[in-house]
Amino acid sequence: MENQTTEVLVLGAGPGGYTAAFRAADLGKKVVLVDREPALGGVCLNVGCIPSKALLHAAKVIAETREMGENGISFGPPLIDLDRLRAWKDAVVGRLTGGLATLARQRKVTTVRGHGRFASPHQLRVELAEGGEVSVGFEQAIIAAGSEAITLPFIPASDPRVMDSTGALEVEEVPGRLLVIGGGIIGLEMATVYHELGARITVVELLDQLIPGADRDLVAPLAKRVTRQYENVFLRTRVTAVQSRPEGLVVSFDSASDRAKAPATDTFDRILVAVGRRPSGSMIGAERAGVTVDPSGFIPVSKQMRTSVPHIFAIGDVVGQPMLAHKAMHEAKVAAEVIAGKNSYFDARAIPSVAYTDPEVAWAGVTESEARAAGVAYGKGVFPWAASGRSLTLGRSEGMTKVLFDEATGRVIGCGITGPSAGDLISEAVLAIEMGADAADIGLTIHPHPTLSETVAMAAEAFEGTITDLYLPRRP
Amino acid sequence: MAAVTEVGVPDLGDFADVPVIEIHVAPGDVVHNEDPLVTLESDKATMDVPSPAAGTVRELRVKVGDLVNRGTPILLLDTEGAAVEPPPLADQQEPPALDAADPVAAAREPAARSVAEVPVAGAAAGAGEVGAAAGASAAAGAGAGAAALADYDGVHASPGVRRLARELGLDLTTLSGTGPKGRITKEDVIAGVRGPAPAEGGVRGGSPPAGAGIPEVPAQDFSKFGPVEVRPLTRIQRLSGPALHRSWLNVPHVTHDDEADITDLDAYRRELDTAAKAEGYRVTLLAFLMKASVSALREFPKFNSSLTPEKDALIYKGYYHLGVAVDTPDGLVVPVIRDVDRKGVTELSKELGATSARAREGKLGPADLQGACFTISSLGGIGGTSFTPIVNAPEVAILGVVRSRMTPVWDGSAFVPRLMLPLSLSYDHRVIDGALAARFARHLCHLLEDVRRLVL
Repeated sequence: MENQTTEVLVLGAGPGGYTAAFRAADLGKKVVLVDREPALGGVCLNVGCIPSKALLHAAKVIAETREMGENGISFGPPLIDLDRLRAWKDAVVGRLTGGLATLARQRKVTTVRGHGRFASPHQLRVELAEGGEVSVGFEQAIIAAGSEAITLPFIPASDPRVMDSTGALEVEEVPGRLLVIGGGIIGLEMATVYHELGARITVVELLDQLIPGADRDLVAPLAKRVTRQYENVFLRTRVTAVQSRPEGLVVSFDSASDRAKAPATDTFDRILVAVGRRPSGSMIGAERAGVTVDPSGFIPVSKQMRTSVPHIFAIGDVVGQPMLAHKAMHEAKVAAEVIAGKNSYFDARAIPSVAYTDPEVAWAGVTESEARAAGVAYGKGVFPWAASGRSLTLGRSEGMTKVLFDEATGRVIGCGITGPSAGDLISEAVLAIEMGADAADIGLTIHPHPTLSETVAMAAEAFEGTITDLYLPRRP
Repeated sequence: MAAVTEVGVPDLGDFADVPVIEIHVAPGDVVHNEDPLVTLESDKATMDVPSPAAGTVRELRVKVGDLVNRGTPILLLDTEGAAVEPPPLADQQEPPALDAADPVAAAREPAARSVAEVPVAGAAAGAGEVGAAAGASAAAGAGAGAAALADYDGVHASPGVRRLARELGLDLTTLSGTGPKGRITKEDVIAGVRGPAPAEGGVRGGSPPAGAGIPEVPAQDFSKFGPVEVRPLTRIQRLSGPALHRSWLNVPHVTHDDEADITDLDAYRRELDTAAKAEGYRVTLLAFLMKASVSALREFPKFNSSLTPEKDALIYKGYYHLGVAVDTPDGLVVPVIRDVDRKGVTELSKELGATSARAREGKLGPADLQGACFTISSLGGIGGTSFTPIVNAPEVAILGVVRSRMTPVWDGSAFVPRLMLPLSLSYDHRVIDGALAARFARHLCHLLEDVRRLVL
């Protein structure tokens, strides 16, 4: 492969990178897209959002068929063929990444496979996956280098029984006992999968609730369900040591919890480490381009996604939290459009977060604990799904929809939903926040009956005092 | 540290006090050698002032509407080295260092940080901490000079409207919405851009005048329907387009049609033309039309007036300079022939020939294009039966003529062949009413029908 030059270089082909590359190409730019992996799509498509959703679907089928046994439909215990499950998951991923390759070709975006590092403010050197090196000269660049799973130094990484999320998605086997370190979104999603496949799960979380960052009342239905289903859920507990032994991984705990207290040690067949992700800002030779990288590896950017070097932009996980594909994709469009001379700006008012657990937990905008901490005068409307016909017909009653409103204007400032399909329901609230809708706007919008989406309107009506599906004592 | 250069206006030729009509750069912009910095506009032409070197714009010294001369400072330029200096990224938060003793907590730290920064969208009344949630994302940084980059926190406007405002360079925080509950709508943004003419350079900028808050013609992607090619407008078209648009929108137009019998005049003209050819010039109908027009302007002085800017009085002119529309390869220009009342047909014919030639060669100076009282637009060389010329405001009328043709005319006892010239007189109805226009046109025809009256 020969050295080349381009107008726009995009480093990283995850959701941010390919979106930026495609948008820039559509705006008339010559684009080169560099990524280490053979398939486009980055972590999200290859070893993240998409394969985990395939496995979660399998988990959901297992759970629902089992639970239906109580209501007259029994299938017997599932026969699990891990090879076929994995092949199906890989086929889903392959179809999507293959689609991306086609989209890149149609747009005449050149892809280069290898590890790219900046050599100067206008040059990237790529260590090619096929061997050798190539230099790409560029007029402007978009860094979309993403993030990688954080490893813990006291855990023997060389032991194949220790997995990160990528390893867990390979489902090599269903362990007898699985320890999930980290009670965040990734850890709990994988716990959901392995639990339904038959593993006995222990979750250990340092803070005092699962999914730290979401409101406690939203997480409560999930916490209640998994506490019942899993072997153990240890909060306020630290893993202090892990020893590889032939019979298993011996884990030492330091528990500050006064409720479910972890034992001093316990033995597990496998461990999933899901304690967060670290930005890749320090792995790309940014200093040779003059791009400022902060000590934790984040690249500071303006709201037009410009780094400290005006012709170099950065987007996605590498520019900061939340590390979410949909945030990256919107930042990508801003960067590509600014490069093409448009006056675009990242001014999203809400970025939704979703845990695809069972039940799902989704939230957007300001959370109730943030509102309280910031002293925001807010009001809330809550609709418990126990009063939703649609939820009951799904065999579930633990969900809830909570919408927060600015007391003065009545406008939606935040929303949290727990229950099946919460991740699909949250979009209405995000749109409401972006559009400046208030409780009446949502309540007066006719939602189809019976649906789960109704619960958003019901929550708005609960705030307004116009709800008839609940009896709420009159507000003073 | 790079050198700072002051960039001034280069030698412009004969011009003085030329207005700045466009500024292409803002402080912080990186420019290359020869990149346009500002555009100046003389009466005759617009010209870009190119950057004398590569560098970063440090400070602007002019604004749109300023009048500049040779040497007037335009901006300060940091030459190349400065371009790689990191621009300030405001609101930078120092991220916590990884704590080796407590790796789980350290790993969690980014999440905790995101919590503090998740947008508090509707906490509108300025509860602070509203905005993008990108943790390390900083406030407007590089190149974010314009107000359009302001964070529209608390502004009641949808994402699409916010984007439109940024594209149009409008600060939404300065706008009040007309939508439900004060929402700023797309129409508000468009009106905000068009709206009460901005103090700086609105008229020269070529934007439609105050009050004409008409919606823009929607953009179309013609390439969906077949092959297309984009060619920039010529300099003349770029200058004349806004002027025509301004006149069309400001002047209530009426066009009055009439016909003059020029059979005798044309015979006389041919005699003169034959003689003139020998001397190297031509005598056209236009010279006679100009003489006739001056006579009509004297008879009906309202046609030789302009409205005051306050539109409460008429300014009558005591001179007779006529604009003559000339078709050139680059577009329409209207050179002015001065003191037509003091010139004869021969002299006018010679001057018209010389002026047209200079117009086609693009050699007209600003003085050649100023000061007309009334304009004549002749399509006689091409054809047509009538058209609607646009008044060249602040003039109040324009005469359009098309090709004369031999027509059977009833003389009271028989049809006789007469050479008839159609006239189309457009006028500003605020100044001239229909009866006056009809009389003006009749007067013109009367003169043209009997060439002897022209010399009276």
